[in-house]
Amino acid sequence: MGEGTPRVQMRGIHKVYPDGTAALRGVDFHLYPGEVVALLGENGAGKTTLMKVLSGLLRPTRGDVLVDGRPVHFHNPVDALRRGIGMVHQVFTLVPPFTALQNVLLGQEGAGLLRPLPEEQARARVQQLLEETGLEVPLDVPVESLPVGVQQRVEICKTLYRGTSVLILDEPTSALAPVEVDDFFRFLRRLRDRGTSIVLITHKLREVLEVTDRVVVLRQGLVAGELPTASATPERLAELMVGALSTLRVARAPRSPGQPVLAVRGLRVRDDQGRLAVQDLSFEVREGEVFGVAGVEGNGQSELVQALTGLRRPEAGEIWLAGERVPSLDPLSLYRRGLAHVPEDKARFGLALGFDLVENSILGRQREPQFVGWFGRLRGPVILRYTQELVRRFRVVAPDLTTPVRSLSGGNQQRLLVGREISKEPRLVVAMHPTRGLDVASTVYIRELLVQMRDAGKAVLLVSADLDEVLELSDRIAVMYGGRFLGQGPVEEFRRETVGLLMGGVVPEGVHADAARPPSPR
Amino acid sequence: MRWKAFLTWAAALAAVAVAARSLERVGLPPVSLLETGLLAMTPLALAAVGECLNEKAGLVNIGLEAIFMVTATVGVWFAEAGRSGTVGLLAGAASGALLGFGLGAVSVYGKADQIIAGMGLNVFALGFVPFLLISLWAFPGIHVFPNELMVPRIRTPLGQVSPVTLAAVLVALAAHLLLHRTVLGFRIQAVGERPEAVDVAGLRVDRLRLLTATVGGALAGLGGAFLPLGWFGALVKEISAGRGFIALACVVFAGLEPLLALGAALLFGLADGFASAVAVTPGVKERVPFYFVSMIPYVVTLAVVAAVIGRRRFPSTVGRPYARE
Amino acid sequence: MRTPRALRPLVESLATVALGLVAGGVLVWAFGHSPVAAYRALAVGAFGTREDLLETLAFATPLMLTALTFAVGVRAGLFNIGAEGQMYLGAVGATFVAGMVPLPPGVHLVAATVAGMLAGAAWALIPGVLKAWRGAHEVISTIMCNWIALHLSMYLAIHFLAEPGRAERTVPALPTARYPVLSEESTLTAVLFVAVGFALVVYAYLWGTRAGYELRLAGENPEAARYAGVRPERVVVLSFVLGGLAAGLAGASQVIGRPPAWSLYATLGNVTTLGFDGIGVALVGRNHPVGGILAAVLFGALAQGGRLMEYEVGVLSELVRALNGIIVFAMAVPELWGMLRRRLSR
Repeated sequence: MGEGTPRVQMRGIHKVYPDGTAALRGVDFHLYPGEVVALLGENGAGKTTLMKVLSGLLRPTRGDVLVDGRPVHFHNPVDALRRGIGMVHQVFTLVPPFTALQNVLLGQEGAGLLRPLPEEQARARVQQLLEETGLEVPLDVPVESLPVGVQQRVEICKTLYRGTSVLILDEPTSALAPVEVDDFFRFLRRLRDRGTSIVLITHKLREVLEVTDRVVVLRQGLVAGELPTASATPERLAELMVGALSTLRVARAPRSPGQPVLAVRGLRVRDDQGRLAVQDLSFEVREGEVFGVAGVEGNGQSELVQALTGLRRPEAGEIWLAGERVPSLDPLSLYRRGLAHVPEDKARFGLALGFDLVENSILGRQREPQFVGWFGRLRGPVILRYTQELVRRFRVVAPDLTTPVRSLSGGNQQRLLVGREISKEPRLVVAMHPTRGLDVASTVYIRELLVQMRDAGKAVLLVSADLDEVLELSDRIAVMYGGRFLGQGPVEEFRRETVGLLMGGVVPEGVHADAARPPSPR
Repeated sequence: MRWKAFLTWAAALAAVAVAARSLERVGLPPVSLLETGLLAMTPLALAAVGECLNEKAGLVNIGLEAIFMVTATVGVWFAEAGRSGTVGLLAGAASGALLGFGLGAVSVYGKADQIIAGMGLNVFALGFVPFLLISLWAFPGIHVFPNELMVPRIRTPLGQVSPVTLAAVLVALAAHLLLHRTVLGFRIQAVGERPEAVDVAGLRVDRLRLLTATVGGALAGLGGAFLPLGWFGALVKEISAGRGFIALACVVFAGLEPLLALGAALLFGLADGFASAVAVTPGVKERVPFYFVSMIPYVVTLAVVAAVIGRRRFPSTVGRPYARE
Repeated sequence: MRTPRALRPLVESLATVALGLVAGGVLVWAFGHSPVAAYRALAVGAFGTREDLLETLAFATPLMLTALTFAVGVRAGLFNIGAEGQMYLGAVGATFVAGMVPLPPGVHLVAATVAGMLAGAAWALIPGVLKAWRGAHEVISTIMCNWIALHLSMYLAIHFLAEPGRAERTVPALPTARYPVLSEESTLTAVLFVAVGFALVVYAYLWGTRAGYELRLAGENPEAARYAGVRPERVVVLSFVLGGLAAGLAGASQVIGRPPAWSLYATLGNVTTLGFDGIGVALVGRNHPVGGILAAVLFGALAQGGRLMEYEVGVLSELVRALNGIIVFAMAVPELWGMLRRRLSR
């Protein structure tokens, strides 16, 4: 716990956006030297906004910020950095083809504009910094070929190189495997012991309890509570975060699954850089079950889903849907055979944001005979009625059907998308990160929909980086790591800690990697 | 990258050698072909190198054609006013810088769609330049200015070479060194790949981009003024005839590398020179209809663009405006 | 004052055009003329008398079509600035059938029109296929094709289609291949209806058919289009073909739909620059076929009014084209009107 005068004082911070949304409604926040503070809260609680104000990215509508007792007005992140405050965001700002050393150097080159880049002089200083803090960063590899966890370290190194005494980290463990998280926490403690103040923006209760000294909980733009970590419990924190003891649990009755709807054998898929992202994968998903694939992003999940949904050609292997071998790169034929695909990024793949609800409701369905008449003409009235039905049945909130879908909230966009896919009466639903970034109500609703699909006898393949989601909804799970399934089997057989280890690539005793037999094609 | 540069140069020189041999026999003197080729290369190279820098920083200027047209006219006017071809060239560079700066400012601050803005410049020039020509000189179709205003050439073993041509080669070299060996070039590449990284590092994205836009415009302007003052000796409405777009083809072909762009400009310049030579050489010109000869530079460019698939490394933000947050 | 959502694009377009006119006024003033007199002459020349109005529509006819070429490209996510070349060949094709292939009346007119459209579409296939198959930069390839088409068309016009004894233009269209003139005092013919009709057909196609939907989806979000099973190469070729048909019709309209020459000039003077002019028209019309029709009337007014402006005030009509460019430039800035409004209301 820090002592003495606070290093940072934020008083009465309000932030209201031009469109009227109030992200912060009078928040006080203090930071002492040599402590790790968790800033906890749900999506939209205001934690990132508050830290963006502190790090100079945003200007508060009202309120003061004091650093070392003196008021400051930051116009941009560089001002904040000069006062020793640096923020590492969830989305990194690294120049992909540059090496780590070059990325750290950008803006700090020192030499005149027309002089050569002083890489060698800087290298010594950077290496010293790495030694002092225990951070491990390969300096001469292009950043784009580094795994996400290492990229994050480059980003942190960038910030530390500029001499920060306050380090703000936004959801730093979201891209890390459980094993990497331990190393990361060790680094944080070392940094704290050197006197740095660290703010950890997170929503992961377990991590808060493990590495922080103090917890500040935000809810809807206000401080809901503040307590030392020593006296915090997960229940108390969850209560402060959400306002009442609530649960995201979805009721799930036991089922007996039927025939395999999806069968995969020996699948190999390459990613855009030509690397083997999926290696010899074999599994099946049966009627009436949810097969959940857990794992940290970047282990081949995207490529797997793309291969299964006709968006990427596999290098080798076979995929059977409803008993027939599927062709590659033909999503429409997959949809005809009963595939529904809820893609990992709705705005990018599953919706056309500039189109209205009506035109989005037939995205992927535009060739179905019910919607198309003579000469390829679209049956306007039929499509309109279908859209109205979708909106009603899946409770999509929108001013009217001709609004562009980009004006809808994320939750409503996803409802429209999921509703569209479900109303196809599919046999297999492939859903990737279906509730990412959504509000609580939509998250619960969409999870309920997936379970309903399963209860109705459909096969559901759920791929998600949200471990809780996978464990809650699945009947059988697999953990994806390095393009393979480490461990595959009924969810009851897996303890949470085991899954965590598998996600980090560690196979504990007693667990067989690739536990399932390769399925036989029908 | 080295071997690609080498290949381009080898191809260009090989083409020259082969062409020279066969042309001798047909009656087209290869030395004059080379001379014309170098002249044709000059405006292309200047504009292409400038645009390489611009695109490395993440902007795109398809208004090079407009810059050529406007600066050719402005250059001649200033040459007449200042009684010197060099003054005209400088005026061309200055007016090109102005146009480049304007397009850059609109792109950076106005978040303009750069392709449309560039086309706007082109359409504007299509109207404004003929307007200027009539306003300034009561234009009967062609404006010939006194010969002493032309930029004199230097005698070299390769024939008569214009000092501007030599300048173009030096500019390409300088651009290469700037881009790959200086802090400024380092920042320019960064801002084209990931402007957020540059912004967060406390550098001014807008100033870097405005700089490359202005420099690119100035180089194109120099090339544009060179067309009448260093080559044709006269000013016509169609003095550029698509050369601005051929320069763009050089940039695409070169993957934004200045030295490769120079090589590409030489290639296209030789095609241009070849076409001009065929059109005027007795014995040859009767056999090939003038119109088809005129098509040669465009067909060559089209073929090159078709053959080269753009799987090159373009900075990921080329053409997209940067907005913080 | 909040404009209703549907009208907002229209208001923005008009506001940007107004800004362009202001900039043009500054240009006029810089060259020593009175902007007020110039614009007054412009307005009078465009709408003053009935025959002026008809002539405005005559100028608008090819513009709404070349606008369509660019607009359909943008809707598909492409930049088809090849309307010039596609138009030249459309004019050549129409001239050939209209002037040298005698056919029964009625059939002849249709055949000449279709010939022009197909010639334009065929020329558009070159950059279209290159883009679909090789990923070739369509900005550069369409411009190269424009220049090749220029020389090719001049060659064909002079060597195959020339009127004996008159070197400066081709054979005129035979009487059976001429669109009926709508009024004795102007050059407006019934080809206007064909142009409007074609634009409406394209509108119905893009918004009312599956293929049109897929084309627009590919332009709006290429990744969602892939998800929806749209084949990008087909969209590319389709959009270029549609654009080429439109440009070809535009070229044909200037030969078989425009008295008194009813033929193609050897310099291609009666078809040049109409392709590039169409870009501004498309942008002001928000890349929408119907918007293009309305915007074409506006730009046609500028062209027609420009003639009176030149005659009365001495401001050259080339400045109208420069104005077109300024408008395109202004349209390139999204929210230009919004930004200025916020500045001014401070």
